[in-house]
Amino acid sequence: MTLLQIAFLIISAVTILAALGVVVGRNILRNALALILAFLGVAALYLLLEATFLAAVQVLIYVGAIAVLILFAIMLTERLMKQERATNEQWWVVLVASALLAAILIFLVGAVEWQVTPTEIGGDPIANLGRALLTTYVLPFEVASLLLLMALVGAIIIAREREEA
Amino acid sequence: MPGFENLPLLSPEITLTIFALLVLGLDLAFKRLKDALAYVAIGGLILAIMLTAHLFGTQGSLFSGMLVVDSFALYFKIIACLTTGLVILSSIAFMKEKTPYRGEFYGLLLLATLAITLLVGASDLVMIYLSFEFVSLTCYVLVGYLRGDPKSSEAGIKYFLYGAVTSAVMLYGMSLIYGITGSTQLTVIADNFLSPSSPVASTRWLILPAVLFILAGFGFKIALVPFHQWAPDAYEGAPTPIAAFLSVGPKAAGFAVLIRVLLTALPAYQIDWIALLSGISLVSMTFGNLVAIQQTNIKRMLAYSSIAQVGYILLGVVAAGPGTVGIMGVLLFILAYLFTNLGAFVAVVAFSYATGSDEIADYAGLLRRAPLLAAALVVFFMSLAGMPPTAGFLGKLFVFGAVIQMGQKVFYFLAVAGVLNSVISLYYYFNVVRLMFFLPAKDETSLQIPRSLVVAVAITMAMTLVMGFYPQPFIDLATRSVVTVAMLSPQ
Amino acid sequence: MPFLNDLFVNLSSWIHGFLAHFLPLWAADLVMMLFTIACLIAFAVTTIIFINWLERKVIGRIQDRYGPNRVGPLGILQCVADMIKMLTKEDITPAQADRLIFNLAPVMVVVPTFMVLAVIPFGRGMVAADLNVGFLYIMAVSSLTTIAILLAGWGSRNKYSLLGGVRVVAQMMSYEIPMVLSALGAIMLTGSLSMVSIVAGQSRVPFILLQPLGFLIYLTSAVAEVNRAPFDLPEAESEIIAGYHTEYSGIKYAMFLLAEYVNAFIVSAIAATLFLGGWQGPLLPSYIWFFLKAYAIYFVLMWLRGTLPRLRIDQLMGLAWRFLVPLALVNLLVMGLVITLTQRKGLFSLVLVSLVANGLIVAAVVIIYAFAIWRRRQVKVTT
Repeated sequence: MTLLQIAFLIISAVTILAALGVVVGRNILRNALALILAFLGVAALYLLLEATFLAAVQVLIYVGAIAVLILFAIMLTERLMKQERATNEQWWVVLVASALLAAILIFLVGAVEWQVTPTEIGGDPIANLGRALLTTYVLPFEVASLLLLMALVGAIIIAREREEA
Repeated sequence: MPGFENLPLLSPEITLTIFALLVLGLDLAFKRLKDALAYVAIGGLILAIMLTAHLFGTQGSLFSGMLVVDSFALYFKIIACLTTGLVILSSIAFMKEKTPYRGEFYGLLLLATLAITLLVGASDLVMIYLSFEFVSLTCYVLVGYLRGDPKSSEAGIKYFLYGAVTSAVMLYGMSLIYGITGSTQLTVIADNFLSPSSPVASTRWLILPAVLFILAGFGFKIALVPFHQWAPDAYEGAPTPIAAFLSVGPKAAGFAVLIRVLLTALPAYQIDWIALLSGISLVSMTFGNLVAIQQTNIKRMLAYSSIAQVGYILLGVVAAGPGTVGIMGVLLFILAYLFTNLGAFVAVVAFSYATGSDEIADYAGLLRRAPLLAAALVVFFMSLAGMPPTAGFLGKLFVFGAVIQMGQKVFYFLAVAGVLNSVISLYYYFNVVRLMFFLPAKDETSLQIPRSLVVAVAITMAMTLVMGFYPQPFIDLATRSVVTVAMLSPQ
Repeated sequence: MPFLNDLFVNLSSWIHGFLAHFLPLWAADLVMMLFTIACLIAFAVTTIIFINWLERKVIGRIQDRYGPNRVGPLGILQCVADMIKMLTKEDITPAQADRLIFNLAPVMVVVPTFMVLAVIPFGRGMVAADLNVGFLYIMAVSSLTTIAILLAGWGSRNKYSLLGGVRVVAQMMSYEIPMVLSALGAIMLTGSLSMVSIVAGQSRVPFILLQPLGFLIYLTSAVAEVNRAPFDLPEAESEIIAGYHTEYSGIKYAMFLLAEYVNAFIVSAIAATLFLGGWQGPLLPSYIWFFLKAYAIYFVLMWLRGTLPRLRIDQLMGLAWRFLVPLALVNLLVMGLVITLTQRKGLFSLVLVSLVANGLIVAAVVIIYAFAIWRRRQVKVTT
C-alpha cells in the first residue's frame, strides 16, 4: 500500500463518518459542523487527485459561503435554536431511500464500462481553465452570469423588508 | 475567435438581454417610471420577434456547438416572446396593486424569456442544463413574488423544492449519458449510439434509465403526470399573470428541448421512448381531465386542464415518425395552446382584478356583468376542448391525425383515448359556461376592466378564432419549422 | 552579501542534506516539512509578541503617551509578561456554553491563520509551499476563520458574543468581495494565482504604480477583513463588551489574540506581496525587504487604528456595498481594458496608461459625489 492509498483511505473514512454525523447527530448545529468537515474531506480528496483549483474552490464556496449560510440560518431561526433534538418521524423512509441510492450508485460505478478519453494536459491547468471558459464555454459562462444577476435581484426582492410604494 | 462570426444569429437573445438590463437599470435610476417600463419591455419583445422573423430559415451552430439556430428554435423563440408580451400586457394593471417592485418584475420576465430562447436552441447537455436552471430559477422567483401573500410564498417554496429535486435527477441522467458516450454534444451522442462499432453496445441497458431520469426534469417543466403535483398549487398561489406564463412559456420550452434531445440524440432508441411516452401521455390526459372536474377554483381547474393538454401534445411527440405530421402537430398545437390558454388566464386575471375572486362559483351570471369577457371565455373553452372552428381544433386534428398515421392498432387506441378525453373535458369547461350564461349573479353590477387587459383578451381571442378559420399560414409556418428538425435528426 | 541573501535557503538545504545521510529520502523530506511548519508557528508566535509591543508603542505615541516602558528596555518584555499572565490565568467555560463548540472555536481560529503562512513568500525561495492556486488558497483558508468566529459567538451562550459573531460574518463576507476584486488586478497583470509568480511579475515595476486604486481598495477591505479599528465593530467594547470573545479567558483568549494579530500581519504581508513587489529590492537581502514592506503597511494599519473613530454598522455595510464593490468592479474593468490596449507596447506606456486610467476613475468618483452633494443642497433649498 502506498502512502497515497493510505491517505485516501483516511480521508475517505473521515469524510464518510462526517457525512454520517450530519444525518445521525441530534443537535442541528453540530450536524452543520459535521457537514463542514465532510466538505473539507471532499476538498482533500480533490487534492489527492491533484485538482488544486477544484479543492480551493470547494473550500471557498462550500465551506466559506454555503456552510456559513447554513450556520447563519440555524442561528437566526428561533425555533431551531430552542430545539435541543432534531428528529424526523420519517427517518426510516429516508434511510431506505438513501440506502437504495447508495446501492445504485456503487453498482453503476462498477458495472458500467465508462468511456474514458485520455488527454494530454499541457501547461498551467488554471490558465487552461480560464482559456476554456472564455472560448469554448463562453456562452455558458455569460449565461451563468446573467442567471446569477437574476438570482440576486430575485433574492433581494423576496427577502427585502416591505417598504410602501 | 471560433463561434463569434455567427453572432448575428444571436440577435434576438442579445436584444432581450439588453432590454432586460435596460429595464432593471431604468427602474433603479428613475423612481416614477415603473409602469412605463412595461411598455419598454414590450417594445424589446416586439423587436426580438422582428429579429427572429428576419432570421427565419437560416441555419447555424454557435459557440462550438453549444447552441444551434434553426427554424424549429426560431419558431419557439417567437412563441416565447409572444407569451411574455401578452403576459406583460395582462399584468400592468394587476401588479400595480400587488407589489411595489414592478420594474424588476418586467426585467425578470424578460430574463425568463431570454432563458427560454436559449433553452430551445441548446444543443449541448451543458447548455441545456444551464438554461433549464435559468428558466426554473426565474420562475421560482416570479411565483413567490408577492411576499405579503402567504399563498404566493407557499407556491414558490413548493415549486422550488419540486424543481430542485427533479433537476438533480435530470442532471444525474445527463451524467450517465455523458459517461456512456463521452460527450455532451447531442449530435456526437447520436453518432455514438448509431455506429455499431462504438463501445456503447455493452452499456445499452443503462440508456433507458438515463432517459427516464432526464425525462423527470423535462416532465417537471411541462407538468407531465408523475411530475405534475406542483402545478395546481403553483398556479393557484402565483400572481395570475405568472400562472399564465408558467402554463405556456416554460412548457413550450420544455417541449422544444424534449423533442430536440429525443430526435437529435436518441433516434436509435425511438422504439423505447415511444412506448414510454405513450403511457405517460395517456395517464397525463386522463388524470388531468378527471381531477379538473372536481375543482372549485378556476386557476386550479386550468392547472389540471393544462396537465391534460400536455398529454395531448405529447401524443404528437409519440407520433414523430418519418412521414407523419407529428412534430408539425406539436408546433401547431403549442401555438394554438399559447393563444387559448393565455387568453383563458388573461380573462381570469381580468375577472379577479375586478372582483378579487378566483372561485368558479363567482362566475355565475357573468354574461350580464361583462358580456365580452364571458363571450371570450366561451371561445377559449371551446378551443381548449378542441371544438371547431377554433385554434384548439386545428392542433388536435393534426396531433390525432399523426397518431393514426402511425398505422398500428396501439396507436388507434391512443387516438381514441385522446378523443374520449376531449369529451370528458367538455364537461368541466361547459360547466363554467353554464354558470356564466344561465345562473343569476349574486351581484349584478357590471365589471370594470382596465384597457390593457381588454387589449390582451381581444388579441388572444382574435388569434384563437383566426387560427381556426384561416389556418393555412400557420400550417405553412409549422411545416417550414419542422423541416430543419428532420435535417438535424439522422433519419 | 550572497551569503546573507540566501541565508535561510542554504540553511534548509544543509539541514536536509544532513538528514539525508542517515534517513531515507522520503523521511528526510517529511522531517523537513515538519521542521518548516514548526518554524512558521514559531515565527507567528514571535511576530505577535513583537507586533503587540510595537503597536502599543506606536499608538501610545500617536495618542501622546509613552506606551509600555516598565518591563525590559523600552518595555519590550511587556508582552512576554502579558503572555505569562494570560497563560496562567484560570480558564473559564460558562456553565450554559456548548462545551464542544466553545472549546473548538479557538483552535479553529488559529489553524487557518498558520495555514495561510505556508504560501507567503518571505524572501527569494523562502516559501513553504508554492501553490499554483496561491491566492485562491489564501481566500479559501481564511474563510474558515469566519466560521470559527461565528461558532465562538454562538457557543458562548452570551447575547453579546452572538451579536459579535453575527457582525463578524456580515462584515467579513461583505469585505471579502472588494478584497478579491482588487487583488484580481495584480493577478491579471501576472496571469497567475501563485504568490511566487506574482512577486516575480513585479521585477520591473511594483504593481502599486499600475494599480494605486486597487491597492487602496485592498487595504481598506483588508482592515475590515481582520476586524481592526476603524472597522472593529465585532468587538466594539462600548456596544457589545468584547464581542465574540467576551466569555473567553486564559489560553483560549490568548489564541484569539494571536490569530487577530497574526492575521493583521498576514494581510499586510499579502498587500506587500501583491502590490509592493514582495521581497524584491536592491542591495538588502530579500527577506529584509519583505519585512520592511510588510511592516510599513502594518504601520499604516496602526496609524489608522490610532486616529480614526469606529464606524456605525450601516456606514460599514454601506461602504462595502455602495462604494468599494462598484469601485472595485469599475477598476477591474478598466484594468482589463488597459492591459488589452497596451499588450504590445512597452512598460512605460503601460504605467502611463494605468495611471491615467486610475486618475480618470478617481475623477469620475469625485464628480459623481460632488453632483450628489450639489443635488442634495438643491433639494434642501427648495424645501
